[in-house]
Amino acid sequence: MTEIGTAAAERSVSSTPPAAAPAPAKPERTRRPAGRVQSSLGVSLLAVPALLYLIVFHYLPMAGLVVAFKEFDISQGIFGSPWSGLDNFRYFFSSGDAGRILLNTIFLNVLFLAATLAAGVTLALMLNEIRGRFFKRIAQSAVFFPYFVSPIVISIILQVLLAGVGGSGGLVNDALLGLGLPQVSWYTEPGPWPWILTFVKVWQLGGYMSVIFLAAITSIPEEVYEAGAIDGASRAQLAWRVTLPMLRPTAAILLVLGVGRIFYGDFGTIYAIVGDNGTLFPSTDVIDTYVFRSLRQLGDFGTTAAVGLFQSVVGFVLVTIAVLIQRRYSKENSIL
Amino acid sequence: MSTDIRRRRAPLEPFTVVSIIGVSLFMLISIAPLWLILSGSFTAESKLSETGYSLFPHPFSLDAYRTILAGPTVVDAYIASGFITIVGTALALACTSGLAWVIARRLPMISRPLAVLTYLPMLFTGGLVPLYLLVTQYLHLANSWFAVILPLLVAPFLVFIQVGAFRQLPESVLESARIDGASELRIFWRIGLPLSKPILAVVGLFYAVNFWNEWFTALLFISDIDKFPLPLLLQNLIANVSASTMLPTSGQAVPVYQLRLALTVVTIGPILLAYPFAQRYFVKGITLGATKG
Repeated sequence: MTEIGTAAAERSVSSTPPAAAPAPAKPERTRRPAGRVQSSLGVSLLAVPALLYLIVFHYLPMAGLVVAFKEFDISQGIFGSPWSGLDNFRYFFSSGDAGRILLNTIFLNVLFLAATLAAGVTLALMLNEIRGRFFKRIAQSAVFFPYFVSPIVISIILQVLLAGVGGSGGLVNDALLGLGLPQVSWYTEPGPWPWILTFVKVWQLGGYMSVIFLAAITSIPEEVYEAGAIDGASRAQLAWRVTLPMLRPTAAILLVLGVGRIFYGDFGTIYAIVGDNGTLFPSTDVIDTYVFRSLRQLGDFGTTAAVGLFQSVVGFVLVTIAVLIQRRYSKENSIL
Repeated sequence: MSTDIRRRRAPLEPFTVVSIIGVSLFMLISIAPLWLILSGSFTAESKLSETGYSLFPHPFSLDAYRTILAGPTVVDAYIASGFITIVGTALALACTSGLAWVIARRLPMISRPLAVLTYLPMLFTGGLVPLYLLVTQYLHLANSWFAVILPLLVAPFLVFIQVGAFRQLPESVLESARIDGASELRIFWRIGLPLSKPILAVVGLFYAVNFWNEWFTALLFISDIDKFPLPLLLQNLIANVSASTMLPTSGQAVPVYQLRLALTVVTIGPILLAYPFAQRYFVKGITLGATKG
């Protein structure tokens, strides 16, 4: 500490006199080398807790992935258990679950991504039309709120809407009854669940996405709209032909981020809502819920780790491809 | 600013009308479920066990809230969630701001590798099994609240929001402090952090909401009922109705359905109360994140 202090003091003596606020750039450059090493080591101490954390909780577990190639025995530990080659992978892929959960994972994520992006853009375009400041602010607060609602709470809300008591009741069924339509026993019917979950994701993320898009809209230069207005464009035309195309880069970034995560199931939402309700698995079981169950219920560490490794590797490849594609098409908006 | 021309134009056009209706509808859908929960939590069990929901709290009843207050379970869960949220957010902010500061300084040989190390776990993870073994077999944190906190301690996305904010601090101010002989650590503590209060608030709020809502790690690592955080207690109440027997009954039957709703209200209560004040920070946070992109 004192070393750094004196080094800094020396620097200030050797350099131009303290020029305070509008420090000229040049002398600053030439001054850099002296004492730079000590001070950078000192300040680096700040990153030590986070670095230790990253190593223990993110990098050590990567080494733990060798479990995927072992016949894991908890008493012998990760490194003591005998090797089993690719048995764990073979077991998973021949179990008959593999195709279904991989398909579900990708299908649901594509639905979620498309629906939330579309909802976000639409909502942003509509919010942008609102002139009353107060109404706009309230509206933005309201639609953004579901983002902070825990999936568990969403699960309760869904039960109120869809299940009522004993599976066939709830607000939606009563409404169906009122319209003379047949009631549905939602929690025993896997068919509609991809759409129900999509609706939940739109509810959760529509407002969040719209805030992002609205930020992009406010950075669109005024002149573009002036030009459009002078040419007699209606508000709908301005939104469709000016705002929408201008949102493409933002949408591209969100799309790439989404594609990169396409192999990761939305555990939080899906497990909170579906839980261990096996009748809904055909349409809702994804990699992450499958992994969780096989770990918790079967205690099958080896297979679970193998699925996790498979997921990470494919996910990593997909992110890389997505980023490369995005880079190629928009150099200036690259995210990495 | 740029909204001028969009405002100036003539009276209501069809698209504007459509927008007002659309936005109002979306608002309604966003908020209505909360009303259902709130209203149901004040409705007598007799009505709820018939319909499963209630549009208005009639017949009015406070049974569920009485049950909640009667015993230690929910209070314990509040304490657990409070601990996880407060300690978690404090630790997370300390780690995140320290890391972000070092990355933001652009130190040769240090900042870039650190940034890569921070980023990489977003792209490639060890997955569930190694984490589970690490926490239970090696760190022996099962049934500890730290098992809930630690796996979520550093969110790369939030680190990079902070890096962006730190880099926008005026270099001249930092330089003049250096000239006055302040050490780098002192500059961080006395200048960097105080000047970044707004962004610290943003990042802290994101962490706080994450910790408050977190239940996955709790589900994995916490099995003692008296250590359950709120979301886990709620999840148990959904997953099996008999879990409600762990709540004190004071003689009569537990109002199961009403209780679920009341516990839901109790769980989102703090977020709901803080939201009007915190909302603009959240908007700022994701706007920053988006433009950094």
